[in-house]
Amino acid sequence: MILEVLSIGLLVSACLALFVDEPTYSVAALSGTFLFTALLYSVNGAVYAAIFQFAVGVGTLAILFLSGEMLSNKTAKKTSPAKIATLIGAGVILSLPAIFLSVSGSTVTYSDASFGDALWNLNGLDVVLQALVILTVALGIAIILHERKSGGR
Amino acid sequence: MDFVILSLAMLAIGIFGLLTNRQLLKVFISIELIATGATLNFVMLASSSGQGLGQALLVLAFSTDTALSAVILALLVIVTKRYGTSNINEILKMYGEKDSEAEA
Repeated sequence: MILEVLSIGLLVSACLALFVDEPTYSVAALSGTFLFTALLYSVNGAVYAAIFQFAVGVGTLAILFLSGEMLSNKTAKKTSPAKIATLIGAGVILSLPAIFLSVSGSTVTYSDASFGDALWNLNGLDVVLQALVILTVALGIAIILHERKSGGR
Repeated sequence: MDFVILSLAMLAIGIFGLLTNRQLLKVFISIELIATGATLNFVMLASSSGQGLGQALLVLAFSTDTALSAVILALLVIVTKRYGTSNINEILKMYGEKDSEAEA
């Protein structure tokens, strides 16, 4: 039962995040999406995934709230209650196939590795390379924003 | 309860939002929803077969997703500051006018 409630909440908050007119409310609905996703992970036993989803979601939302406030048009129209009700209804209807239908076949286990083994022994090189990629991306963004600030190209 | 259909629904919502919304912030949210749908499918299949490998790969997917989000947000800020709007149609219109001025 809890999985069904979480999946309905996930799709309703996703619909609201996309189609509500106010940017701040839209980001608030996106925070609901991240929260429901993390709860779904944790209920299904993927606790590490839930923690990472929560941490990444909080960081993204902090930036989105700031940029949403900074970049949004203050005179944007407000969302009508009828539209909100329609969006909630659409979210509920979209979640019905996931609740009542099934397309998954049997799953095959390829590895019995624990999370720690899988992360550090099987994918150790990937983790190091990902860290390098993120460092490069951060450096690139800092350069772009610095050039903009100093009036460069 | 089928998580493949749930993640497909998330993907469909994200793609629909990507095609219909003209605000850059909403486009970014659509991309986030698509990424969430993909990772949801990934984690649920991994956790249903009881292995840690899926969760480990998810951590790597999250780092890529975060880097992608950072790049998109930086571009969003730059474009909005430059053109004074976050509407894609208006930005394209201004970009076209700037191009025709440069040609003249």
